[in-house]
Formats: sequence, structure tokens, C-alpha cells
Amino acid sequence: MRPNILGFICVFIIAIGNAQNSPLKVRDTILIQELEEVIISATRTIRQLSSLPLPAQIISKKEIVSINSLRLDDLLEEQTGLITVSDFGGGEGVQMQGLDSQYTLILIDGVPLVGRSAGTLDLNRVSVGNIKQIEIVKGASSSLYGSEALGGVINIITDTPKIGLNGTISQRTSSFNTFDTGLEIGYKKNKIGLGFFVNRLSSDGYDLNENTSLKTVNPYSNYTINTKVNYKLNDKTRLDISARFFTQNQVYIASEVLRGESDINEWNTHIKASHVFSDAWNSELEFYTTRYKADEFLNDMEDQLFSNGFFNQLLVRPEFRTNYQVSENGTLTGGLGVTHETLKRTDFSESPIFNSPYLYLQYDTDLIKVLNLIIGARFDSHSKYTSQFSPKVALRYQLNDNLSAKGSVGYGFKAPDFRQLYFNFTNATVGYTVLGYNAVPDALEELELQGEINTFLVPPSEFEDNLNPESSIAINIGLDFKPMATISIGLNAFRNNIDDLIDTRVIANKTNGQNVFSYYNVNKVYTQGIEFNTTWKPNNNIKVSGGYQLLYAKDKRAEEAFENGEVFARENPSSPSFQLYKDDYFGLFNRSKHMANFKIFYSIEKWKVNANIRGTYRSKYGLFDSNSNNYLDDYDTFVSGYSIWDFAFNKSFYESFGLGIGVDNILNFTDEQNISSIPGRIFYGKLNIHF
Amino acid sequence: MKTIKLLTLFIILISFTSCSTDNDDSLILAVETDTFLNLHAPQEGGIDPSTGQPLPISGAFTKFDFASGETTTSDTDWDIAFRATSIIINGGVSLETTDEPIRTGDAAAYIATGTMPSIESVDESLFEQDSSNGYVLSNWYTYAGPPSHLITPTAGKIIVIKTREGKYAKIEILSYYKDAPDNPDAFVDEERYYTFNYVYQPNEGDLSFNN
Repeated sequence: MRPNILGFICVFIIAIGNAQNSPLKVRDTILIQELEEVIISATRTIRQLSSLPLPAQIISKKEIVSINSLRLDDLLEEQTGLITVSDFGGGEGVQMQGLDSQYTLILIDGVPLVGRSAGTLDLNRVSVGNIKQIEIVKGASSSLYGSEALGGVINIITDTPKIGLNGTISQRTSSFNTFDTGLEIGYKKNKIGLGFFVNRLSSDGYDLNENTSLKTVNPYSNYTINTKVNYKLNDKTRLDISARFFTQNQVYIASEVLRGESDINEWNTHIKASHVFSDAWNSELEFYTTRYKADEFLNDMEDQLFSNGFFNQLLVRPEFRTNYQVSENGTLTGGLGVTHETLKRTDFSESPIFNSPYLYLQYDTDLIKVLNLIIGARFDSHSKYTSQFSPKVALRYQLNDNLSAKGSVGYGFKAPDFRQLYFNFTNATVGYTVLGYNAVPDALEELELQGEINTFLVPPSEFEDNLNPESSIAINIGLDFKPMATISIGLNAFRNNIDDLIDTRVIANKTNGQNVFSYYNVNKVYTQGIEFNTTWKPNNNIKVSGGYQLLYAKDKRAEEAFENGEVFARENPSSPSFQLYKDDYFGLFNRSKHMANFKIFYSIEKWKVNANIRGTYRSKYGLFDSNSNNYLDDYDTFVSGYSIWDFAFNKSFYESFGLGIGVDNILNFTDEQNISSIPGRIFYGKLNIHF
Repeated sequence: MKTIKLLTLFIILISFTSCSTDNDDSLILAVETDTFLNLHAPQEGGIDPSTGQPLPISGAFTKFDFASGETTTSDTDWDIAFRATSIIINGGVSLETTDEPIRTGDAAAYIATGTMPSIESVDESLFEQDSSNGYVLSNWYTYAGPPSHLITPTAGKIIVIKTREGKYAKIEILSYYKDAPDNPDAFVDEERYYTFNYVYQPNEGDLSFNN
């Protein structure tokens, strides 16, 4: 704790020092360069964002720095149509176009993060300190990325070393004794580039309900270390090596008598060789390995081990990619690789191994000057489930200088995860059992031998086939409109049709009165809506932006049940029941019909000051069926809509110092009952020193 | 004109009288619609709150008779009976739990999906009796589990009964808590108090619940 307090004091001393230290040295070079933003995740080639036929957006380093965010979830929840939602394990995942976090692929520099113990990839794991930009591609993207890219892809691009020796030290101190300390050093000379980043984050956590003995979030501390080496062998060949390490330790308190610790250790190495064969032809060969390991234990009052759990996932992926310039405006991109995955986990029937070779091809061309076409497909073979073929086609038509239209149709899929196939878990206190699909036949037989099965509701023979991957067909149609130089408007209508959604059902009754659950393909779900984004930049000092998403996310079977008059409700729990109609069906859980954001960024170059105020809103949503009719309807209890407002103020001085102060969640919104991930108002101070 | 008017009046009067004579002959009784508040259905045993271990369940069922619209302690003159969440009918076989009454009648029942007004008549093909497979009316409620632990009658479930006398009734259970509070709290409100709406068709063989 000591260095952090020092850091905090340091922030204050400098703040006071600065107040007495006017006039400031003002740089007279106000050079604003509007560079075309480029995105690499959408096509796996360097591509102008503005000419892309797909719905995509970029969060720039400038924005990341000016809002003083700490972790990836802080950033993503301010973007239109994205919301972070927590799973029961406390992980913060991202919901995109109304699709759950397990359907969005999260990449760092183009390679996937793993460790979804309950489907969610916890975005709190990712420090934003060394991020250059974040690329968000919406809509099914399995044609390039395979499994998990059913709803979209988020790619985190980290900093590359700049010429010379340079670096940044930063310290942010905020409410709840949260300290974030970072150091980034870059060096580049001639053929070699080196990068080093280390970050430490610690927090006391917080407690939304003081009356209970348990805290909402327990104290934790974590470290992120990222190193990079770039080596240019010659003008045509380069080698990139990077390694990332993340470790977190958190207090784990389950009850007044049970306490322990949970630890996460994660690392990855990424080696990439690139070669330019000719003006038209370049290739990359990449080897990626990552391991995610989570361990937890609980001890009782006598310090005897009560329970422990582990999760240990390994992913190895070699991939070869090549780009070939077929013609002046046509690029062919192809890749092949293989994914090897293993998992060791508590309560698993076996230690599964997945092997999945794949191949993809994409052609990006301008059919005529104003008409761009991207057509691509990927084939994933798999050792444990049906092979998948994922095509995609996208078109963009430039109507005139101010207006363009774009549309895309793609197939996305998500392979059944390890848990859905191999789980074999019996709750020690309550006595229910959850079995993965492939674990069912053996595990049921064993339960029956032990005399624990009362009745079979689903014959075990039904589990001889494979569980199908969840799949989706996504359609996006959009318009980009720039009525004048200072205003841009983007509109996108989307529909995701999802088949074979995996759900749980009761497959047998146990003699102890509890049930055996397993997974199965059942639901047909759709999410559809409209996304609207607008930016207004009247001059170089002000940027105002607003975004809105309208969303309908529904289960088709539920819609049928309402239509057939099979669903009933009561005004209150003790009044007569009445029939519900289609209009009374609210939709899927945890989906808000309306989400909006509004941001103003203001800067005064002369004073080297910038400030911003940002607000996000989400309308009411339901977390569970409170009136026991199995559906979320208008008579259920809802989580009320809410808005969060953040304010940040930054000032830089002496060339290399940056000071930031701000308030997150100004209105101090909390909802102890329903939203454990919002801690309330946070004050912070931040100091950056560049060298 | 006058004669015509008088004649009309005469005809109307005649027809009224004849109608009432018809009624007197067949004795059509009005369908009875009523609410029964706080039928107390206690039980002994169950889960021991201090240890969490199940204890043998016992205690008399509270019996109800549709013809009188009252609870009864008679061993024979009852149609339906309650003990905590268990509901039995006077027809079929006993599961022989402690203090469970023997079935002396030929009552039967089923659970229909709908609302009180929408279940307008009886479907005789659906009737079943208590058997070794379990009670016919076992599936009437939803247990919310932690943290609320509420027991609520599932919306859209209407119990249709053939009484021991072969007459028909329909019931909608409204509450399992004393005085049927609007927002029951399982930790505050006393449980095992049934409040239900019912409609009783007193005319033998009449499958309709409308008059």
C-alpha cells in the first residue's frame, strides 16, 4: 500500500505546485491532423474504416486516455449497443446486438483470450494502459474467426514501440482504495523495437449492503506484464514476439464460516513472422499459445480445507495467412491453421482435448469504383462436433460524396464449450446434478447403479448423437451519412437468427427429490434492432456524440406459447390469474429495449486542458421470471432503467506531465439487489509522466 | 288496439307462469360461486429447520365439502382435503402417509390450463384419481426457492373436480398465506392457509359451469 499512498500524495503536491506555477509555457504548434482511421479486424487486412461494408467502430487511444479508464469494461460500456453484464461468477462480459457475452470473440492483437469458466470472458482482466486502439466489428464474423464470433469480434490492439526511447509512468488513485500503477517503456532503433508494460491494480472492493456479513466485491490485486520485441531482418521480413502475463489474487469469502482465496494466472506468447514476397503478395506465419488457470479454495473456521476448485485451459494455435493482390482493387486473403485446446477442471468427467483444423478465404474487391464487395468463407473441422462452414458476403455502395449504403449477411457459430460437454457436478449441499452432454450416458448409468435415480425423463440413448454448435445468420443493413463536414450519422439495422441455442433441462429425477440437469439444443432466438450513431464536431475543440440502440430479443417458442394462449399471470400473487397475449411478452432476460449514450469532449489547446462528460442509459430489463410462468412478461418484476454520468478533466504541463481528475458515476447510482457490478460514485486523481 | 294490448299481456303472463312451472318440475339450482378464505392446512414434521433433515410428515388433512361449502371432520362426507402443500381428493387410493384418510368416495380431478372464466365446462375424459403414482393435484404451485422461498399457486392452473356425489366444481387457488396478502412474505406471513375461488355446479350431470 505504501507506494500507492506516496503516488497519491505526489498527485496532490504536483496539483498544488501547478496552481501556483502560472503562466504556463504554451506550445504554438497547434497542428491537427485528421488521419483516416484504419481497422484490421474486419478483413484481416489494413482497411479504411470509413469504406468498410461492415458495421464496425474504433475506440482510439485519445479517447481511452481522456476518459481515464482502467479496465476494458469501463470503455466498452460507453459504446453504442454494448453493455457489460455480469455472470453469476462475477465476471463482466459484453452483450453485443443483444447477444450474450459468450457469443463475442475477444482478441488481443488478433489472437483470442481464453478462460470462460461460465461462458463469460471477464473484461476486468484487461488493463487499458497499453492499448493503441480497440476495434469492434458487429455481426457474425465466423467467416474469418470461427467459433465464438457469432455476435461479433472485439480486437484489442496494443501499442507498438515508437522511434527512440520513450515511456510513461502513470498512477491513478480512486475511491475504495483502488490504486492503479503503470509503467510503459518503448524503444526503437533501426531494426529493433522493444516494448515493456507493467501494471498493478489493487482495490479494497466494495460493499453495497452493509447489513450483510459478506462484501459485494472482495479485495483483490493483480499484475499485468506485457513485453514485445519487433525485429526487422530486412525490408521484407520481420519478426514479432510478444508475451503477456496476468496474475490476480482475490479474497474469497463464501459465508461467515467459510473463507479462502481465488487466484488467476494467465499467460500467452505470440510469435509472428511476416514476409513481403512482392508488391502483390505478403504472408504471415504465427504461433500462439495461451494458458488460463484459475484456482480457488475455501477453509472452514478451523482452517481445514472445505472445498477447492481449479480450471486450467490451454490453447495452442499455429496459423498461416497470406494476402494476394489479384488486381489493382482486388485482394485475396487466405489462412489455414489448427486450434488445439485442453482443459482440466474440477467436476469434469474427463480431461477433454479439442482439435480443430480450419481454412478460410476472403476476396475483397471494388466491382466498380463506388461498389465494394467482400465475400468470404471459413471451414472448421472439429474432433468433437459437426464441421462448420461459415460464409459471409458484404456490399457497400457509395451513392454520393455524403451518403453510402452497406449491407452484409453472415453465418456465425459457437461450438459447445467444455462445460456443456463434460461437466459432471453434484451440488454437495442441495444434491442436484448437472451433466455435460457427452458425460450423460456414463454418469447416469453410475447414478442408477448407486440407486440415486428415481425416474428417467429423457432416455440416455438420446445423448448418443452430438450436441450441435449454436449457429446464427446475421443480417446488417446500414447507411453512413455526412450531411456536412462537421456532422456524421451512422445507422444500422440488424437481425440475428439463432438456432440450436443450448439450454439446460431436467433429464431425470433423483431419489433425493432433486433433479439431474443436462444441456440440449432447443431454442430458436432472434435479436433485432436499430443502432444509431452521430458525431458533431463544430470545431477542433468540441466533439459531441450520441448513440442509441433499439433492441428486440425474443425466444420464438415463447412467442408461440403466448400466441397459443398458454401463458398466464396474476396482477399480484394473490389475485385471480388471467391469460397473457403476445404483446405482454417482454423478451429475453437481461435485455433492455433502449440503450443510449451521450458524450461531450471539450479541449482548449492553448491551456492544454481537456474535459469530458459522458452519460449512458439503459432502459428497464428483467433478470428473472418473478411470477413463475417461465416467461418474462409485463407483469414480472423489472430492474428499473438507469443512467450513469461520468466526468473527467485533464491537464498537461511541462511537456511531459499529465494530470487528471474526475468523477465516475456522479449521481452515485447503485442497485444493491440487482446490479452488483456498479460500486457507486468514484472520485479519482491520475498522474502521467511521459519521458 | 286495446284488445290486442290486453291479449299480448295475457299471453306474456301465461308464458311466465308456464316457465316457472317447468322450473319447479326439474329443480334447476343456481351455480354457486364463492371464495373460501383461510382454510388452515397444518402439518407436523417435514424439514427440521435446525438440522435441515427431513422428519416424517403427519397430521390430519383439512377436509372440504363442496355441497355445504364448509370444512368438515367427517370421514366420508368430503371431496378434497389439504395438508400443507399436499392436496388429496376423496377418490382412488391412499399413499398411506401418516394420518392420510382412506378414500371412501369416487371423486376425481384434473388440472386444466386457463382462467376461471375460460374453463366453462368439464372434460370428463381428463379425470384421474389419487393413485400409487401420486396425488392428481400435486402440481398446483411454484416454489420460488432462495431467497424468497415463496410458494405461489401457478397462474393459469384451474382444478376441476368431480365430487364424491358425481357433481362438478372448479377451483382456483389464490394464496397459501394467511389472509391472502397482496405481496406475501414467506418469512412474515403465516403459511398453510389456503384461499381459493370456486364454482360449484349443484345440478347432477350438468357439465357446464354457466347457469
